[in-house]
Amino acid sequence: MITVENLHKTYGLTRALHGISFKVQKGDVVGFLGPNGAGKSTTMKILTGYLLPTAGKASIDGLDVVEHSLEVRRRIGYLPESTPLYTEMLVRDYLAFVAEIRGVPGRRLTAAVERVVSLCGLQRVIGKNIVELSKGFKQRVGLAQAMVHEPDVLILDEPTSGLDPNQIVEVRKLIQQLAEQHTVVLSTHYLQEVDAVATRVVIVNRGEIVADDTKDQLLSKASTHAIRARVKGPKANILSQLGELMPGRRVDVMWSEGEYHDLRVHVTTDLRDKTVPEALADLMVKNGWAIAELGREQVTLEDVFRSLTATTEGGVA
Amino acid sequence: MSQALVIMRRELRSYFGSPIAYVFGALFLAVQLWLVTFTTFKHGAIANMQAFFQAFLPWTFMVFVSALTMRLWAEERKLGTLELLMTFPVRARELIAGKFLAVLAYLAVVMLLTLGFPITLAIYGKLDWGPVLCAYLASMLLAGAFTAVGMFFSSITRDQIIALLATLVTLMLLLIIGHPMITELMAAALPRWLVEGIAGLSPSPYFSSIARGVLDTGDLVYYVCFTGFFLYLNALVLHGRRLKG
Repeated sequence: MITVENLHKTYGLTRALHGISFKVQKGDVVGFLGPNGAGKSTTMKILTGYLLPTAGKASIDGLDVVEHSLEVRRRIGYLPESTPLYTEMLVRDYLAFVAEIRGVPGRRLTAAVERVVSLCGLQRVIGKNIVELSKGFKQRVGLAQAMVHEPDVLILDEPTSGLDPNQIVEVRKLIQQLAEQHTVVLSTHYLQEVDAVATRVVIVNRGEIVADDTKDQLLSKASTHAIRARVKGPKANILSQLGELMPGRRVDVMWSEGEYHDLRVHVTTDLRDKTVPEALADLMVKNGWAIAELGREQVTLEDVFRSLTATTEGGVA
Repeated sequence: MSQALVIMRRELRSYFGSPIAYVFGALFLAVQLWLVTFTTFKHGAIANMQAFFQAFLPWTFMVFVSALTMRLWAEERKLGTLELLMTFPVRARELIAGKFLAVLAYLAVVMLLTLGFPITLAIYGKLDWGPVLCAYLASMLLAGAFTAVGMFFSSITRDQIIALLATLVTLMLLLIIGHPMITELMAAALPRWLVEGIAGLSPSPYFSSIARGVLDTGDLVYYVCFTGFFLYLNALVLHGRRLKG
């Protein structure tokens, strides 16, 4: 459905995209994840025909986004970052305008607007000026305009940024509904969002793709796991003995209060590491230190994300 | 081209949906008629509209068109709606045509409202309608030329005030270099061909000649070229945005 090959984009001296390639199948919901300035928006702007790539190709349904720009734009619904809207228009008029300019024929115009109004829950505000709406409703108007012409592909740039937690949940639900009928590419800072809606995750950093996989695959590939233990005993002693027992491993003390210490032992996923909890427990028993907790730390997408984009930490929720 | 009409309708709705259109229209009529009443409606004066068109209209247009066009692109850029607009399946020239026609349609409505003036003249005096109708045509041509300049300046900035000032200054210079007073002054110091060349850039002489009732192909060609040139620059600016982001 969407094919991107070796896309480059340079703004003046800044390299925004440096050879991005990926594919999106029909029905996929792909989450674009990355710190600010990673190239998520630039990729989307090229796909929607707003920006011209410096080099490389992108196509939707086999149609090149530069050569067949108008055709491609007809197939896309787009919600740009920060949801630009004509604030002086009524919700109803605005949606009708977008439907018309997107080529919905006159006789189907009213029906098309009604469809997205009910889909996005806009009935209450349809006669209001957009400027009067809350951020959550504005976002829904933005989503409604993106799909008023029933496009094959929805491209949503940070659809939940700036919303309050309740609104975020609502908008995510809406996106999940949309995902049933559309191919969706969305970008986000929020890992939970990808967790909640996406079937595939593309992690972008500094204009390059650093990971492109299903969520589960990414989690199982994650290179760092950790064993957590809460131990009661003398801190210096514990650390030195752990060091002897497991040379080369990173042991962090996460928290200490009195004799209690939370330890985090970094392990990899290979077989030998299965013995780490046992060795840890043995050591504690031998020394007579009490174990208050022992367990494997859950790996989250956040860990994966951090390990892949470690150099730029900003913007991660 | 039907998409251009969709754009045009949206622009017109945004003019007429706010008080701007009415306040502007009323101000325009008031200023123009006030200026003219003192010169034309006099006992024994010739029943024509030369004062209405020749003396004041280019200058009132200068101010009003600058104010009408300043928001056309600058506001879209500021709101971020330009990005959405440029991802609709619409050609850049349709976007430009839509906005251009909206301003022109609005000004046409306002100009229609001034028809009461020649009708009054025709009732109380003997009015030659030929030059009057030519002058109305000349006004719309001038409005188009000014609108193209205003749209161009609106496209290169996101600040409406900068667009307004740049348009005002440009239009003022264009009007001044074609004004008979200035051309006479220049003629004293500069060679004739240079003076004519400079004045030839200004819309003023072409406007005057059509407004006097002389329809000359050259004058029409001037307006088509002038307007086309600035609309083309506008298209280049839009294309530049797709390269730069």
